[in-house]
Amino acid sequence: MENKEYDVVIVGSGIAGSIVAKTLTQAGKQVLLLEAGLEAGMAFDTEGAYKNYQDYMRSYYTALAKVPNAPYPDVKDAQSPNVLDMAQINGTLDKGYFVQKGKLPFASDYARAAGGTTLHWLGTCLRMLPNDFKMRSVYGQAVDWPINYAYLKPYYEMAEREIGVASDVSDQRYPNVGDDFFGKEYVFPMYKIPQSYIDKSFIEGLAGLEISLNGDTYLPWCTSTPQGRNSTPNEKYRHAATVWNTTTQKLELQAFPKKSDVYVPVGAIWDPYAGQRCEGNASCVPICPVQAKYNALKTLKSAKKEHLTLISQVVATKINIDTSTGNITGVAYKKYEHPDSKNYTEGVAKGKIYVLAANAIENAKILLASEACKNSKVVGCNLMDHAVLLTWGLMKDKVYPFRGPGSTTNIPTFRDGKFRKDHAAWISPIDNWGWGWPTGSPDTDLDHAVSTLNLYGKDLRKHIGDQLSRQLLLHFECEQLPEKANRVTIDKNYLDNIGNYRPVITYNVDDYTLKAFKASKSVSDQIFAGMGVQDYTNYPSNEPDYTTFDKQGYVFRGAGHVVGTHCMGTTKENSVVNDKQQAWDHQNLYLVGAGNMATLGTSNPTLTLAALSFAAAENILKALK
Amino acid sequence: METNQLISGIRHRLMRSGEPTLTGFNQITTIKSLREHLQVAIELEHSTIPPYLFALYSIRENTNDASARAIKGVVMEEMLHMILACNILNAIGGKPAISHRDFVPKYPTYLPHSNEAFKVSLQKFSRPAVDTFLKIEKPGGKDARPEPDHYASIGQFYEAIVDGLKRLAAQGNIFTGDRSRQIRPEQFYGGGGGLIEVYDQATAEEAIFEIVGQGEGIDGTIEDNNHKLFGEDVEYAHYFRFNEIYKEQYYKPTDTPKSGPTGDKFPVDWNQVHNVKENIKMSDFKEGTEERNMMHQFNKRYCDMLRVIHETVNGKREKLEEAVMIMYQLKYLAQGLMNVPMGNGLYAAPSFEYVE
Repeated sequence: MENKEYDVVIVGSGIAGSIVAKTLTQAGKQVLLLEAGLEAGMAFDTEGAYKNYQDYMRSYYTALAKVPNAPYPDVKDAQSPNVLDMAQINGTLDKGYFVQKGKLPFASDYARAAGGTTLHWLGTCLRMLPNDFKMRSVYGQAVDWPINYAYLKPYYEMAEREIGVASDVSDQRYPNVGDDFFGKEYVFPMYKIPQSYIDKSFIEGLAGLEISLNGDTYLPWCTSTPQGRNSTPNEKYRHAATVWNTTTQKLELQAFPKKSDVYVPVGAIWDPYAGQRCEGNASCVPICPVQAKYNALKTLKSAKKEHLTLISQVVATKINIDTSTGNITGVAYKKYEHPDSKNYTEGVAKGKIYVLAANAIENAKILLASEACKNSKVVGCNLMDHAVLLTWGLMKDKVYPFRGPGSTTNIPTFRDGKFRKDHAAWISPIDNWGWGWPTGSPDTDLDHAVSTLNLYGKDLRKHIGDQLSRQLLLHFECEQLPEKANRVTIDKNYLDNIGNYRPVITYNVDDYTLKAFKASKSVSDQIFAGMGVQDYTNYPSNEPDYTTFDKQGYVFRGAGHVVGTHCMGTTKENSVVNDKQQAWDHQNLYLVGAGNMATLGTSNPTLTLAALSFAAAENILKALK
Repeated sequence: METNQLISGIRHRLMRSGEPTLTGFNQITTIKSLREHLQVAIELEHSTIPPYLFALYSIRENTNDASARAIKGVVMEEMLHMILACNILNAIGGKPAISHRDFVPKYPTYLPHSNEAFKVSLQKFSRPAVDTFLKIEKPGGKDARPEPDHYASIGQFYEAIVDGLKRLAAQGNIFTGDRSRQIRPEQFYGGGGGLIEVYDQATAEEAIFEIVGQGEGIDGTIEDNNHKLFGEDVEYAHYFRFNEIYKEQYYKPTDTPKSGPTGDKFPVDWNQVHNVKENIKMSDFKEGTEERNMMHQFNKRYCDMLRVIHETVNGKREKLEEAVMIMYQLKYLAQGLMNVPMGNGLYAAPSFEYVE
């Protein structure tokens, strides 16, 4: 590959890298894609893809703790963070892949593997709300984005096609959005995933319940959650593909050629007949056994093969910069022989344009190692995640959790409002997996019943049947503002197996978010009281992310939403990339992924970063002209 | 544009229908006869499903992955074909009959309306079973003519139906069926290839091309050309997928039907199979025994599924979802049966018999 100059070199085969690779190759550009993880899964042959995925399944079945990265290979030469390594920090936490030096541990992970973190994402596909893009001008907090919702809207539609989002527009009701949020005629590619039984019970219970917050009264409502998993195609959906129009120099959604054409759900990468509908296997995180849930390998597979060169086990270490022009001249990499060996060969990949798509934390690491984008002085800063406060209890009646995908309904009421002048907004998904996340249900319930309560036989069955079937779990996913102090740095004292930097993370949660813990907990208390839910929530002080606010202790969790670190902005001093997602300091460098997001809002970031990736691909195609 | 040359070959052959040289066969000349033959088509497509499922279920879990996936893919396509045939019959004002005593064949059986050259049995996954599958899916050959009643290949049978469709359509509109009876792509899934809504001659022929193209895929006329036939993107026809299992070798992109598969070794472990009784019947067990009840339960669910599909193709298309749920249960019921010993080292299996 060193002898060849490609049009574009992309680092990372997650959803951002795959979307850019697919769009560019289909427009006829020659693309080299470097993946740090194993080749596993990138294989275009169905047999290889199938075998590899079955290996993932076997690892999942045998794993004791079925955490997000449990099914995927733990490669020392391209390590992934693991939530099992998170602990309270006394000075420095040097465990696993991350080095943590902040007040609180950053508690989210990602996957360094072909297909990236979409291998274990939940699949929630919410668009950001218009006010999320203008937090400074509307609420006096953080910053405004250099782009707005209207700019991103057509790219959201492309992302919803690419991922294959299942949802009903008529269901979607969000605070402070107009009729043009989706547009009158818009439909999703597929109808919504059926909402679970627990959702239906919860929706009934919540109906008409008045909630007071900061002296205001709210009538919270529920909506079905748009999801990147296959369901029944909507015959009204008319978009066949996203294509590059050389005349208008734009990406456009192309209509189906025939009236009788309908959207065909994209099945498993090894078998188009598998995974055409969500089968309710309920193991979405960490792994969908039939690939009814979208993952980026599906996008990668539909790239134009003749124009795509894929190389795996290649870890980008730095980008080379021509100091006179600021242009990037190559991506220096290490290619390791075996997953855990210290042996590697070095090389440089060359193209006209370079795209870093290696997750926000990895992108920041590469930029810092290269001393790139120095004008901004904010590379690695503004690391964000949703701080997830969980509350749980027992419903009055049996609601039968542990059925269907992880979450099919949410309360969007507090995603936006004037309270954002004072504290964070949040979204509240209703969980279909009982108390699994906070307490380890159902295994721990059984353990407790047998070893502590000494139950057996009929009594045991009755107890388990009564307890598990009434479990309710709510999340309050609170937004975090960009803070310069929450950052990724590198330190030559912390290197990985082949001498690459490990991320050194400094992280904390500020009052803006802490106030939202207090506010959302009070909302939870009112919901539980109103619906007769017996509260079992507790926040032990020995949990990794235990924190206090206003004399109350809280435990929050990471949402797996790794955002910020190379934010988009209006000047080269306050941001790393411009509104084209092009590095201010390096004309032929584009950064993609959630790292570009200037603020977090209350949406799971994947849909937004996918939309941004289409926009970036369009800008790259324009630049390549 | 036809990307699959195997299918374009069959399309070419089907296009020939109605040419003067082909008038000598027993033509379909009335709408009543056309409807009857389409009902046979539905029964024909269905009759292949129990033997394929029987063999598929008999493969031990997590073994013979490649073979299991090949058979599974074919079964799903047979289900698609059955629904496509229902759509054609509905389009010409007929009423598919899916749920009645005679709909379920008594194995071993000849294929409906065939020339009775071979019988189809319920057999465990084995060479003889795959050999039968090859016979079922065998291409028609160069000189095969349309044949509605004593066909040697399924392609001939459908060619006679296309011929009848064309002849009758030329005499007046035969597409009088209610379009709300059509199963559409949003209802049917997982069956490989799109489901086609049928409402005119073109869509009817498209549906038949889909059926025949996926099955035999090829006829003698392209046997001699040297086009690349087995590119990795080509989801090639059933016959060739079964032939890979039979020969324990993959096709290479440069292989031709004549050369047979010359690629890598196709992994088959004929021993990783439940040793189940061939053409088993409920009557092999005494009334009132648990084993007999298990057999009955499977057959009951199978027939429940046929009843739901019957409703689905007779105006209640939203019912298909229910049928899918039953399909999952069938697998577990079949796996249960395969752990029931019958003596002589044999085990029970689903018998696919009609029960009320």
